Amino acid sequence: MEITFAAILWGVRIAFLVLLYLFLIRAFRALHRALAEERVAVAARQLGIAVLVVTRSHAGGPRVGDRLPLRAISSVGRDAGNDVVLNDEAASAKHAIVSFADGEWWLEDAGSTNGTLLNGSRVWDRERLHYGDEVAVGRIALRLEREQ
Amino acid sequence: MIRARPIARPAELRLLAWVAAFSLAGYVAVVAAVSGRFAWYEIAVPAAVLAVFAALHLFLVFIGFRGDQLLMPLAVGLTGIGFILVERLAPALVLQQLSWLVIAAGAFCITILIPRDVSVLARYKYTWALLGILLLISPLLPLVGREINGARIWVGVAGVAQFEPWELVKLALVIFFAAYLEEYREVLSTPPRRLGPVPVPPIPYLLPIVAMWLVAMLVMVLEKDLGATLLFFGIFLAMLYLATGEPFYVVIGLAMLIGGGFVAYHAFAHVAARVDVWLAPFGSDLRFDQAYQLTQGLFSLANAGILGAGLGNGMPERIPVVWSDFVFDAFTEEVGFVGALALLALYLVFAYRGMLIALRAPTVFLQLLAAGLSFIVAFQTLVIVGGNAKLIPLTGITLPFVAYGGSSLVTNFMLCALLLRVSDITARVRR
Repeated sequence: MEITFAAILWGVRIAFLVLLYLFLIRAFRALHRALAEERVAVAARQLGIAVLVVTRSHAGGPRVGDRLPLRAISSVGRDAGNDVVLNDEAASAKHAIVSFADGEWWLEDAGSTNGTLLNGSRVWDRERLHYGDEVAVGRIALRLEREQ
Repeated sequence: MIRARPIARPAELRLLAWVAAFSLAGYVAVVAAVSGRFAWYEIAVPAAVLAVFAALHLFLVFIGFRGDQLLMPLAVGLTGIGFILVERLAPALVLQQLSWLVIAAGAFCITILIPRDVSVLARYKYTWALLGILLLISPLLPLVGREINGARIWVGVAGVAQFEPWELVKLALVIFFAAYLEEYREVLSTPPRRLGPVPVPPIPYLLPIVAMWLVAMLVMVLEKDLGATLLFFGIFLAMLYLATGEPFYVVIGLAMLIGGGFVAYHAFAHVAARVDVWLAPFGSDLRFDQAYQLTQGLFSLANAGILGAGLGNGMPERIPVVWSDFVFDAFTEEVGFVGALALLALYLVFAYRGMLIALRAPTVFLQLLAAGLSFIVAFQTLVIVGGNAKLIPLTGITLPFVAYGGSSLVTNFMLCALLLRVSDITARVRR
């Protein structure tokens, strides 16, 4: 009878440690899940601070009204590797760069053949870009808007 | 704050089930090992403790709380270990600790409900500073101050109740530091002039750090409380660094602390005694005298091994005042390296989680507040475990949530509630 009691006691002692570790493992798993969600949230935040809305296009190009999400720094051009891909023969492979710095949006031409227009005038240097401004690349026109 | 619709907290509930399981197992093992039998009515105490935990969970669910679901299970898990240890080391105090737990749970709920917006706390920053200083010096006042075991850190009416105001000072000061640093962060972090490789900060920038150092030194000299000094100055330096990102403040602060400590070592007997005990506890003049507590603690640790002696099977009762000063050694002796590792890992997850809450918080004040609160828990654990293991001089700091003690339990539950409030604000802002 004494031996059984001692054996049960040791069983409970070991159970305590095992349960403590099971709790710890679950706590670590919850922590890990939160970190994974955080990474997704950060990635989502980078994409979608603002959008370029297509206001004028042509057959084969993006549809009018499409909302193209912007990153903190987005390249615009015909090449599929750009953040904003514009299927237009008049657009260069790498045409322009839209960036967010010092709390403002900026537009600069990336050495395109046919140039970039901001509200109808050619962009030579880095230009301030306001919400509602119109950017024209080739035959496509885009308007900067806040992400809702 | 009060939202009509309850929101389920499934992750928290699942974690609480594990807390309940290991708390019961540990409690049963201790009772059975000490008394040699187990009667079913003895389950009443752990059942009451678990009922309080469940009530906290239901409270958060029914007010529709959206904050973190990991922090509360960690805090009550540590409290559960604390109850196992109180039953093991000082069974006569279990009921007293249970009533403190009920008060702590009440303080938790009040902290969750009362400040309608935690950011409002920043508006009364000098009130918090004043409150902190008053609480800090209150043990020195004639009628209410009490000196217990050589440290004058208690307030109370003789024989009725005692409270360690220092515990509440921590919270008041973290709120003050967070609000103060949010406002003066820019000024403090402008790059200092440099004299070659040595940064030369203009004098006004050094004033707050000097003021805090003076207060810390006063606490060390007048209240004979090394732990409070370390923690107080440590919180300040950590938050100053977090807010400004200037390492030279930390370097200056540490140099001042070491300098002050060096002078105090030579000028004040109680400081010298702590350091001598730490350096050579087995010296023939100390080992059965001032160093007795530490040497018994070290024997306890040495007795632990990988799996320990088994709950209820060690001899931690040989350490004087083990239930408040040496719980880490007692726990390690009976559950070994494996159990001690799990205990430290729980603190790691708690502090890490708190820092994540700080990172996600929407304003600088809330970020600094959450970081400061998590830092308290991490730093206290480091200082007391280091003291118990003779890595640093022993101080009277308590092991958060685990050590016996009412003031500490109440404050730590309020700390946890404040962290949860920050995470609740973040969750509401982000959606």
